[in-house]
Amino acid sequence: MKNRLKIERAILDLTQEELANKIGVSRQTISSIEKNRYVPSTVLSLRLSNLFKKPVNDFFELDENEKANTLIKA
Amino acid sequence: MNVKSFMECERKSLEKMKRYQLSNKFKKIGIGIIIISVIAFIVNKLSIENIDLKLTSKYGILIGLLLVSISKEKIEDELIKSLRMQSYTFAFIAGVIITLLTNPIFNYIANLISEKQEGSFEGVGDWEILWILLSIQVFYFEFLKRMNK
Repeated sequence: MKNRLKIERAILDLTQEELANKIGVSRQTISSIEKNRYVPSTVLSLRLSNLFKKPVNDFFELDENEKANTLIKA
Repeated sequence: MNVKSFMECERKSLEKMKRYQLSNKFKKIGIGIIIISVIAFIVNKLSIENIDLKLTSKYGILIGLLLVSISKEKIEDELIKSLRMQSYTFAFIAGVIITLLTNPIFNYIANLISEKQEGSFEGVGDWEILWILLSIQVFYFEFLKRMNK
């Protein structure tokens, strides 16, 4: 899954630590999400959505493989 | 008690079981117990040879490892929970494989193949299996945390 978390964080001029504090997780979690090592839960995604005031789809996106898999299954 | 209230009761007790973790300060207590127990174990092995001290140090190591394993991190968020689950899964699978590889039959064959004339049916004891499981979990969890920094 691709994400624009780093860009959205830069728009709000927040450090990883500040963003982590705002949504109640560790800085490690933010770093892992930005590096695509960890896919956050729906609850965390919605908290980010509330903070960025944008829908989840604006900063999380399926990559090409995941989109292809969805089409095959459908 | 009808079926619905019975199920509700079951669900509540399961929810309680999910909150098995201790606070972060128990991690330091656990590490302290492990250090003291390991020192006692080594000293006992080298000089005293007291059976009670041996058993106490064995219990100490196990309780210390358990405390470290089930105590929370300073910030226990969903990433940490996910890493913790991965480490328990890995420890379980690795523990079973180690137990299988050190099974008496494997030992017997290995001893027969090696220069020993007689094969011995020694396996891994229950203490050792529990130590291995908890140690793998604790170290793999720390490894995963470092990998995700």
